[in-house]
Formats: sequence, C-alpha cells, structure tokens
Amino acid sequence: MTEPTGERIAALRSYVREAGRELRAIGLEIDRDPEAIDRWLGLPAVDIMRGCTIPAEYLDSPLRVGAYTYDMSSCLEHTVTIEELSYGDTGSMLACPGPLMSGVAVSALGDDKQRHHYYERMAGPEPVWTFFGLTEPAKGSAATELETTLVPEGDGFRLTGEKRYVGNAAYARLGVVFCRRAPGPLGIEAVLVDTQAPGFHAEPIPTVGMRGARISAIRLDGVRVEREHILGYDSLKPSRRGLIGAIRTLQRFRPVLAGTIVGLCRAVLDHVREQRPALAGGARARLEDLEDRLTAVRRQNYEVAAAIDAGRVRADRVAGVKTRAAELAERCTLAAADLMGPGALLEDPLLNKLYRDARAFEFMEGTGHIQRLAVFQGVLKRTFLN
Amino acid sequence: MDTATTTSPAAAGLRDFATALDACHDRAASGGLVVSRGGWAVASPARVTAGAQVPGSSGALMAERGGTPAGDRRQEAFADELIGLHRQTLREVLDGAVARLDRRVSEGANLLNRQLVQGAVADVALALSEADDLRELPMSTPWRRWRIHRDLVNAGRTALKLYGAGGFVAGGPGTVLYLTEVLGNTYLRPEQPGPEAGDD
Repeated sequence: MTEPTGERIAALRSYVREAGRELRAIGLEIDRDPEAIDRWLGLPAVDIMRGCTIPAEYLDSPLRVGAYTYDMSSCLEHTVTIEELSYGDTGSMLACPGPLMSGVAVSALGDDKQRHHYYERMAGPEPVWTFFGLTEPAKGSAATELETTLVPEGDGFRLTGEKRYVGNAAYARLGVVFCRRAPGPLGIEAVLVDTQAPGFHAEPIPTVGMRGARISAIRLDGVRVEREHILGYDSLKPSRRGLIGAIRTLQRFRPVLAGTIVGLCRAVLDHVREQRPALAGGARARLEDLEDRLTAVRRQNYEVAAAIDAGRVRADRVAGVKTRAAELAERCTLAAADLMGPGALLEDPLLNKLYRDARAFEFMEGTGHIQRLAVFQGVLKRTFLN
Repeated sequence: MDTATTTSPAAAGLRDFATALDACHDRAASGGLVVSRGGWAVASPARVTAGAQVPGSSGALMAERGGTPAGDRRQEAFADELIGLHRQTLREVLDGAVARLDRRVSEGANLLNRQLVQGAVADVALALSEADDLRELPMSTPWRRWRIHRDLVNAGRTALKLYGAGGFVAGGPGTVLYLTEVLGNTYLRPEQPGPEAGDD
C-alpha cells in the first residue's frame, strides 16, 4: 500500500496532520527548552498523545473525527498518527504526556485490574508523563541480560539498579521497569513504578538533538514494589510475562517508531523543496532518489503495521523497516545540508534541528547492529525476502 | 539549557575541540579568525564574541556572520586545517569506541569479539587510511577536500554506531563529530554545483 486507504484512516490523517502543524510552530522552542512543553499542554496534538492507546471508555473526550472514534489500539492507525505528528515536530511530540511505550507494555502484560488502574490514572485531568525503562548502562537494551534486580521482601519486593537513555523519565509520574526476579529468561519481570516512591531518582541526560524526548538516567535504590505492580504476575505464566512483554512491546512499537522517522524524513525533504525550488540536474535527481526511498520505506512500514494488526508479527521485517528508516533519516539530513548549500546548518534553524534530531533513531528501540541480527535470522528462515 | 558543565569530562572534550579549532584559525590566518566565503566565522567564544552559539555545541562554539571572507589562499589553508582536525577527531572517537567496547561484555563475550563490531571498526580505519592518502596527493582542490570531508562524515556516523545511545550524549563523541560536520558545511562545501551533486 502506498498509503492506507479508506475514509476512516484518511479522516484520521487529515485531522492529525493539522494538529501536527502546531507542533512545528513550537519545535525550535522545545529544542531550546524541552520543559517549555508545559506551556503548550492545551494543543490538540497533546490531547492526541495523551489519549494514544487508552481505551475510549476511560476518556472524557476520546479522539473522534467525524463518525469515527480512535484509541490507537490499531498499530496502523497509531503509526499514521505518530507519523503525522512527527512531520510536525518529532521532539515536541515526544515531549508530550501520555502512555507512549509504557501503555503498550501494560496492554500486553497487565491483568484487568492493572490495566484499569493504569488507564484510570492516565485518563485523569492532570497530564501524566510516562517512561519505558529497559536499557541499562552496562547492557544496553539486551533484555535477557538486564541486571536491575527485584528482590523479595516481606509480602512485596525491592527494586534496585540503573536504567539509562529512557525518554521522559526525569519528568514522569509513572513508568514500566524491566528487571530480574530470578536467573534466566523466565526470571525477567515488568513492574509498574510510581516515580514518587522513595528510592526512585531520575535526571535528564543532555543530548545532541531530539531534546524534546528528555532522555534520562534512572537510579533505583530499593524502590518498594508490591506484588500487584508486577505486570501479569497473577494472570500470566512466567514464560508469557517480562521478557515476552519487552519483545512484544518493542515489536508493536517499532512500526510506530518507523512512522516517527518517516515523518521527520518527509519534513526534511519538503523543507528542501520549499527552500530550494529551483534545484536542477544532479541535485534534483538526488532529492528525487531520496523521495523514492522514503515512499518505499513508508509503504513497507504500513504493510508491517497492518500485518501486526492482523496478528502476524514478523520480527525480521519489523527490524528491517526500522533500520531502513533510521538510515534513510541520516541520508536525508546529510543530503539536505548539502543541497541547501554552504552554511545551511548555521543559517537555517529548522534544518539544523532536523539534522541533529535524525541521529537519535539509530539507537532508539534497538541499534542498527541489533536489528541486523533479526534481519539475518529472517534470511536464514527465508521469511525476510519475498 | 544548551550549556556545558564546566567541570564535566564532556565539557573538557568540547573545550579541547574548540581550542584545536582556534589553533586551526591561527595557523591559517595571522589575525586568528578565518571568515568563510559565505561570510561566517566559527570559533570558540574567546575568538567570536558576538553572534550566537552554534546550536547543539553546548556553548563550545560561536558563529557570527557578516565578516569579510578570507582570500583564496587562506581559505585553502584553513580547509586543510579543518580536514586535519576532522581526521584527528574521528581517530580519537574510533580509539574511544574500541576502548569502550573492550570493557563491555555481552552474553559472556567481549563486544570487540563480535564480527559486526570488528567490521565497523575496520570500516572506519579504512576510511581514515584513505583520507590520509588523499590528503597527501599534490594539487589539492576544493572538490577533493569536500570528498574527503564527506568520507570522514560517513565514517564518523559508522563510528558513532559503536557507542549506541552514548554517541548522542551532549559533549561526547556525537557532539564533536557533529561540529566537524557543521564546520565542513560552513567552510568546505564548494559554492558551485560540482560533478558529484548526485552523490550521496
């Protein structure tokens, strides 16, 4: 599919694209001062992000466009939404309150009571930022090797360890932390953590770009965790809990991340076309080549998202589309700086910001090296290529 | 805020980079500040006191527009200096990556034992080696310098992948390589469309 068709998705795209324009307007401000998002919480785009993946019955005003109601339980609709908001401004979008990845994890692993508690809290009147704490300083995002521990104490547990490169953690009220209750893959758990709990510490890590994501470091000093805060503890077998939850969440979210990247690439190439309408010869051919590649990866991403909605999660293709999109973002921004001419990175603040932001995608939700391993497995199994 | 903590190792790395850039200006121009053909001057805040911080530089570099562009000889001398700075910066980033990976273990194995990692390290080293050879050729031209710069940019992106998210931390390897890219875009990009406008 070049673009998903049908009235329902067209209405969604049109509405969100309009909301995304307002994110573009605040993008440079958020880049300078990520906390400025607090001044823009009334924007429709913020409402969209706050409601993403929360079931409509929990929300006073779920996203409705014409006759349609959207809760982003569809990976494809979620992907289209995030792509359009990212086209507006990726950093501002990521600075917004809302469930983001933590919501996908709770949906995948939580029991009815846990989901209800989470959604109630997210749907309240106050904006709630959340985080998804998987990556660790020494082990990256290798879920099977994580070292954060969950140690029994009385009728509950204590959570101790460190997480790093976690979006919004220093500003969040709630998040999911992946940790180890016992050795081996079956000993991994996902716990819901309230950042007000004693022993939880987080601080922002200054970054080159994508400053709206407010990437943070977390230290967990014996944070008390009750049994009911371990996602799926009473409803799922260990083999269906922590590790499988991390994998399912990442796979469900990767097309959404690829949509984020596609949105940024579209913004970059459109900006070049607007600023340099007279490009000719080799320069024009270079821009057209990148536009072709963008169309191709965008189409592939919609197919992957639609397959997930149909219950067909293909890890190799999910990894492939994320990797292609991330690499394309670097190519698009490098080319844009060339095509806009000498001094463009100093003269054009939007180009400079996009150029810095694009570099975040390489490591978000798994580095290119890790994704390549999944693609390789797909080649071996003959599932990656048609 | 886009400011570095003056005591942090990252800030020290950025200060060293800014100092090295100022030294490039000194070697290329007796006045100590080379203005690009487009009218930009980029240097440490000690050198460029007006203008604005280079975005993403944590205040390590300032950029000011409006000066008189340096003549061709100074432009060329400064371009060679910038490529030397880029090459040295990338070399340090590569060495840092190897040292860092040598301290990391995954699934019981040192990360330097991974073939993907070894291949990436080798790719960067090959690019550095080729850049050295190209710099030694006689009759340097703006387009040759630009091609060398572009190759170093691509190799730098490969090197940064060895750092994972650590390559994105302000003041770290990602920042200094980003600044080499900004400097190349400002000083090295030939004004006229060239034979490789269609290259990536």
